[in-house]
This record gives sequence, C-alpha cells and structure tokens, in this order.
Amino acid sequence: MSKENQINIFIVEDNQVFTLALKADIETAFKNLPVKISSFETGEACMEKFKSEKAQVVILDYNLNSTYPNAANGIQVLDWLKKENPEINVIMLTSEDSIDIASKSFKHGAADYVVKTETKFRKINYSLSNLFKVMEAKTEAKKYKRILMMVFAWVTLLIIATAVIKVCYPHLLS
Amino acid sequence: MIKNELKWEPLNVCNLQYLTEMMGGKNNLIKGIIETFLQQVPDELNGINTAIEKTDYQTIKSLAHTMKSSVSIMGISLLIPILQEMENLGTNATDIGRVKELSLKLNLICQQAFKEVENAKNNYI
Repeated sequence: MSKENQINIFIVEDNQVFTLALKADIETAFKNLPVKISSFETGEACMEKFKSEKAQVVILDYNLNSTYPNAANGIQVLDWLKKENPEINVIMLTSEDSIDIASKSFKHGAADYVVKTETKFRKINYSLSNLFKVMEAKTEAKKYKRILMMVFAWVTLLIIATAVIKVCYPHLLS
Repeated sequence: MIKNELKWEPLNVCNLQYLTEMMGGKNNLIKGIIETFLQQVPDELNGINTAIEKTDYQTIKSLAHTMKSSVSIMGISLLIPILQEMENLGTNATDIGRVKELSLKLNLICQQAFKEVENAKNNYI
C-alpha cells in the first residue's frame, strides 16, 4: 500500500465494543481500498496523533465523556480538527436524533451526521463511500487544474516569445 | 405411551446473527469483539449499580448511554428500552425508585447475556 494513496480514517469513540465492530465493518466494506483505520478513546488522543499523522476522514462521537467525564466533547474536537485542517471530512456520530445536534454539527463544519440506530454501520459506510467519491473528484479537479495551468503557462510563454521576436527580429517573421 | 413433558428453557437474550453478518463470518474479529464486550460491559454494569447507590444521575445517564451501543451490537434488544428509560431518567435527574426497578431487570438480563456470550465465544475459534 503506497502512503500517497492511503486513506487514513480516525475513529474517535469511547465505547471499545462499538469501535471494534465499526473498524471491522469498514475494513470489510472497503476491502479493495487502501484504508488504514486508527482509533482513539478521547478527542485529546486523536488530536495528539493528528499533529503527526494526517487523516482524510474522522468519524467522531458526539458524546465523548461517558467514560472520561473531563474529556472534550465532539463539537470541541470538531473545532480543533477544522482549525488544524479545514479540508478534513468529519462524520459526526450521535445516539440522539436531534435537529439541534445535527445543525450544530453542520454549522461547525461536519461533512455528515449519523444517528446510531440499527442501520448505523450501513449509514456510515454509505457516508464514507460518498466522501471517497468527493475526495477522488477533488483530486481529479486538482490534477486538471494543474494541467490547465501548465497549458496556460506554455501559451503565455509562446505569445511572449512571438512578441519578442516581432520586436527584436521582425525579419524572421516576414 | 406418549409422555408429555414440559421443559422450561430460558429464551436467549442475545442474537449474535447481526454481529456475525456484519463481520462477514470472520471468527477472529467476532471473538475479539466478544472478548472486549465481556471486559467492558460488566464494568459498566457495576458502575451503574454503584451510581444508583449514590443517586448519581449523571453517571447513570452516561453509562446507560454507552451500554446501549454495546448491547445493540450483541443483539440484546431487550435491554435497549430499559437503558433508554434509565438514560432519560438520568438526564432528568428524577425517580431513583424507577431507576432501581429498571436496574433489577438490567442486572438479570445482563447476567443471562454474559453466560450466553461466554458460551458463544467458544464457537469462534
């Protein structure tokens, strides 16, 4: 697996049973993709790792203080992540189907919001699949932008060269 | 002579079909999740029992919330409404009497579930 193509996913969730099941489910669903998953019980641990290893997607639990009462909550961690990398894709997980939490998550920059119902794993995989498509489209767009810039630079260079020749060596063009 | 015997067998409270399907039948992954469940959930249950003794609604709410996710993965659907009600009572910091009633059911079902999960663990080698 080349490091360049690797998709790093961070899971921030204080329930280890849930984390293990989610990790295994994602690895099974995207077995053909170079996905690397790291998990953290607190947002603080995630942020520490995030400084040295960049993730493209973070799956973040909204309630992170059930095991560690003083741990930062999901929205605080989302703010840190967005400050560190505005392009990070964050999927917010919550047990409560609340419009307030959903709108708060989106306002703070979450890419998606998944409620932990019976179909949670399917929804997370669907969300990841969409994010991977967006990430691929962004990479393609960057590639075409680079090609376009190169073409533009060459055309500009050609025009300048023609103008220089026209001014300095007009006989060459006649 | 036909002998009619009534046999009483406790119904299973766990349904590991969901977990097995989700893991695509990968025994090592299933076993890992089962082992984590057997380490984590008894601690959470003890935590809830202690919190009830202390009438600590905040901890009751938090632990009921966490347990809901764990038990749903093991298909212990009987516990979801119980834990949800405990979480709601914890959030509203009210009716410790009802929380105690719910905890009796919670403890009974959990003990049965731990036995079932422990037995099931041996099937995933």
